Amino acid sequence: MADNKHDRDEVKRNGVVDITRRTFLHKSLLAGGAVATGSSVGFFQTLSSMEVANAAMGESFSFAWVSDTHLYPRELNQRFIDKATRAFSEVQAMGDKFDFMIFGGDLAQLGDPVEIELGAELLKEVTITKHFIPGEHDWYLDLGESWNKHFGETPWTFDHKGVRIIGVDSVGRAPDYWSARGMTDHERMGHMSALDGSQAGPWSGLGKEQREWLSSTLSDWPKDAPVIIFSHTPFWECYAPWNFWIRDWREVHEIIAPWQNVTNIHGHVHQPLYNEIGGMRSIGMLATSWPWPYAPEGVPEITKPMLRVDPGDHFDGVGWGNMNMSAEAHVDHQYMMWREQVFGYGRADSGTGDNVNQKLSPRIADRGWTGD
Amino acid sequence: MQSIRNKGLMALISALLCVSLAFVFVVNRAAAHKVSHDAETLQAFTDAFMEQVILGDNLFHGAPMDGINMSNTGMACAMCHPFSSDVHPHEYPKFQEQMSEFATLRDMINWCIEKPNEGEKIDPDGEAMKALEAYIYWSNRGSVLDPGRH
Repeated sequence: MADNKHDRDEVKRNGVVDITRRTFLHKSLLAGGAVATGSSVGFFQTLSSMEVANAAMGESFSFAWVSDTHLYPRELNQRFIDKATRAFSEVQAMGDKFDFMIFGGDLAQLGDPVEIELGAELLKEVTITKHFIPGEHDWYLDLGESWNKHFGETPWTFDHKGVRIIGVDSVGRAPDYWSARGMTDHERMGHMSALDGSQAGPWSGLGKEQREWLSSTLSDWPKDAPVIIFSHTPFWECYAPWNFWIRDWREVHEIIAPWQNVTNIHGHVHQPLYNEIGGMRSIGMLATSWPWPYAPEGVPEITKPMLRVDPGDHFDGVGWGNMNMSAEAHVDHQYMMWREQVFGYGRADSGTGDNVNQKLSPRIADRGWTGD
Repeated sequence: MQSIRNKGLMALISALLCVSLAFVFVVNRAAAHKVSHDAETLQAFTDAFMEQVILGDNLFHGAPMDGINMSNTGMACAMCHPFSSDVHPHEYPKFQEQMSEFATLRDMINWCIEKPNEGEKIDPDGEAMKALEAYIYWSNRGSVLDPGRH
């Protein structure tokens, strides 16, 4: 049953926002157009494909996104390997459709070189051009050494068919929370790997040097030309306690504000998440590993939450997204899942609506950590 | 004369019974409240509770404990329930859809251990379960009781 509030938002937004020229439109959120046909649902469930067009140049292209595989060593967890393998196989099967694939971070669970090497091996399945950005789970055991060795350094940029494509590192520039406390590498990684931990602090951000790089990278790009920025964490403040943000989002927004058509595509949140701030749209992608619950606050009203997940079904709450570009330069993003219904509307079925009656506290056991 | 003696005996027995009941009542109350609850006493109660909360917090985040095996996948409770979000302890007991039966919070904790985590059920009245329950309730304190809600 359609939610009237969402319908009103749709009417309002379609009436106010110019969606036919410079705006990437997250169509699925406005139209509720989740698609889950038998063949696609059963086969392509763990990747995200996107088609982008630059109306000015009349060219279009598609690319795939996979992220948050959170691989453990093979002998510990085969389930996540199976899902990652399936995603990569599906990308490869559709290889002719995609110009490239983005891997959006958190390939590994605990940054173990064994996990990263396992991921690199699985990624060989995909033979189209691949671009990589790291997640915090890839980074904090050896501070990016294994990641950079296999996948190269971040940030990076290239232009593709009229779109400036940018990949940033939003995870590797955390304030040092480990040295003064004398943490071992594994302790540092352990605190980082707990989403609700209190010791790693506001680890997500671009940092001054990378912000300067971003500003310089955009400086020669026309203000009305499309920009896509890939990051592991969202470019806005959704829920800081879980680092569903970058801590320097205000400074970053000042940098990108002059550009009228910026799309930030991110992982980390393991859930459909959408926001618009100024000329920037932000789209949160699904994980292949497992879904997070929605944060207790901070989810924008224009995000249409997914249906509550069945914890007994390992393949529930993960999926892929499909962005199709209209002739008017819309990006129509549809999340694809195995089940027929993707979004929840009523309180009993909606991930955010269902959570309004809970009051939560940060964990306590790690606050008194002294290194013992 | 016999009747008078019987009445006297009955009165004596009644009096003794009353005194005994009163004694038991007073003594029991006194046993529970021998001293007033000063700040130190209350802090001791809090410390006893928080000790269980911290133990439960650690178990919830994957810490090992002798004699139990809550996961065979590497997954910990907190990986799906940061801040013990989406557990909704205040909504139990209720009909639990995944189990297709009326369930308590402890029932659901064991279901999650056995199904998603592929671990081994823990003693529903054991130390680990009580600690997990303590952490989950503590982390959700302030949520309004709403048993039965789906």
